[in-house]
Amino acid sequence: MADNGRSTGRTSKALISLKGVTKEYQKNGKWIEAVSNCNLEIAKNEFLVIVGPTGSGKSTLLKLVAGFEQPDKGEVLLDGEPIEGPGSDRGMIFQEYALLPWRTVLQNVELGLEFQYGKRKENRELAMEYIDMVGLSYATGKFPVEMSGGMKRRASLAMILVIKPKILLMDGPFNALDSKTKLTMHTEITRIWEHEHNTIIFVTSELDEAVKLSDRIAVMNSEGRISKIFTNDLPRPRFGKAALEPEFHHRFIELREMVMNEVKAGAGKAVCDYGQ
Amino acid sequence: MVNKQQSRNGSTQAFLADRSFYVLGVFLFLVIWQAASMLKLFGNDFSEAFSPLSAFLALIEMAKNGDIVHHTIPSLRRVLVSLFMAIIFALPVGVLVGYFRRLEQLTYVPFQFMRMISPLAWMPIAIIMFGVGDVSVTFLLWLVAIWPLILNTVHGAGRVSPLWLNMAKTMGAGDKGILTKIIIPAAIPDMLTGLRLAVGVSWIILVPAEMLGVPDGLGYFILDTRDRFRYDQLMATIFIIGLIGYLLDSANRWLISKFAWKI
Repeated sequence: MADNGRSTGRTSKALISLKGVTKEYQKNGKWIEAVSNCNLEIAKNEFLVIVGPTGSGKSTLLKLVAGFEQPDKGEVLLDGEPIEGPGSDRGMIFQEYALLPWRTVLQNVELGLEFQYGKRKENRELAMEYIDMVGLSYATGKFPVEMSGGMKRRASLAMILVIKPKILLMDGPFNALDSKTKLTMHTEITRIWEHEHNTIIFVTSELDEAVKLSDRIAVMNSEGRISKIFTNDLPRPRFGKAALEPEFHHRFIELREMVMNEVKAGAGKAVCDYGQ
Repeated sequence: MVNKQQSRNGSTQAFLADRSFYVLGVFLFLVIWQAASMLKLFGNDFSEAFSPLSAFLALIEMAKNGDIVHHTIPSLRRVLVSLFMAIIFALPVGVLVGYFRRLEQLTYVPFQFMRMISPLAWMPIAIIMFGVGDVSVTFLLWLVAIWPLILNTVHGAGRVSPLWLNMAKTMGAGDKGILTKIIIPAAIPDMLTGLRLAVGVSWIILVPAEMLGVPDGLGYFILDTRDRFRYDQLMATIFIIGLIGYLLDSANRWLISKFAWKI
């Protein structure tokens, strides 16, 4: 009923909602449901992490929200309106690197700004800010062909973050990074999210990452269904000193165990990359 | 023998060795040319006139009396004008056809069919349309230049990764932004390859095309020297044609090395 004032991260009104969404695709001549009858509501300013075994439809779910794919059944709504295609309100960070091979790091990061504002002086400054953030300021003049996988990954991240999308769709964005860079990126993405108040849907195969970043964790199983959604009540900040508190650490491990058991239970015959 | 891999080690010595082999190639070429004339391969009466030395002397003569300039300028003008018009026509067509799958399907058979026809076969039609002279020659050169340009641009524009397009769309790119910042730059390496092929084939077709009733140009001058039995000048003209062709191609290779991005 009455909305009691300011939103505090989770409100009753969903920004994105999936209603009975099914998406099929053809594999070896058979139709398979990549996403099967999914219902999910994502609030404004929420940080939702999706985990699940390989091939459980996590990426497909993200593509549906991005608007690259249309559901075969059900509907995907943004502010109550069906999503009909991609838009600049939803920035997608792809698993593959989408860097343009004829542009340097700096020019790649400037691309989105050029699309939105044309060429202008501030673009360079703004781009440099985000290049600094992902730790690539030493390589601004490099072309993708000259860069390692990790560097490309960081550059694509800066490329999307610089346009400040309201909704960030991240498909395993930190997969290939070394642990030090990964930690920096976790801190940065949290800082950006707290500062810009964007809504993030984050797909990962690492449970530590899921627990560290999320408000909620949705677990998908090998049949493309969302089997369970965990609410992550761990206090923020979750980095540095706070993370060393025994109480915090205990709760962290506890939640991670619960999520892992759920993932394993839903893995079926699918490859499970959550062992450890 | 040094293979390609070994000679790429970049030392000064290797560089000089590479250079000396290029020079040696030119030298051997001249030796074979001289030998062919000494063995009277060009016939008993005229082989002397076909020798490199005779050609060289004729070249100096033609440089002095202005024949070289007088015939090279119109040839270059015809090729460059037709290339320019071919580029204006072929690049937009290539981008559209490459980008829209239906358009590619629609044009595939006609384009593949048309490109296999020698432009000289259109000669009578060109003369009916434009009369004997410059315009007809330029038209025929245009007709031969458009196909490599169109087909390579189609290939380049069709090679645009769907990932780049999706990314551009999520960045709020409009059609114009996608065209100018994604599709055209993506197709540039193929456009340059097309240009290189177009220049090569235009230059080759130029000579026979200029035999169709124009009063100047290198192709015209070939017939002229024949009619005057000046086979030394004929060889000199052939040399000029080859040299200019080589220089045009070098310019294209430079463009490619400068502007074609690499994967």
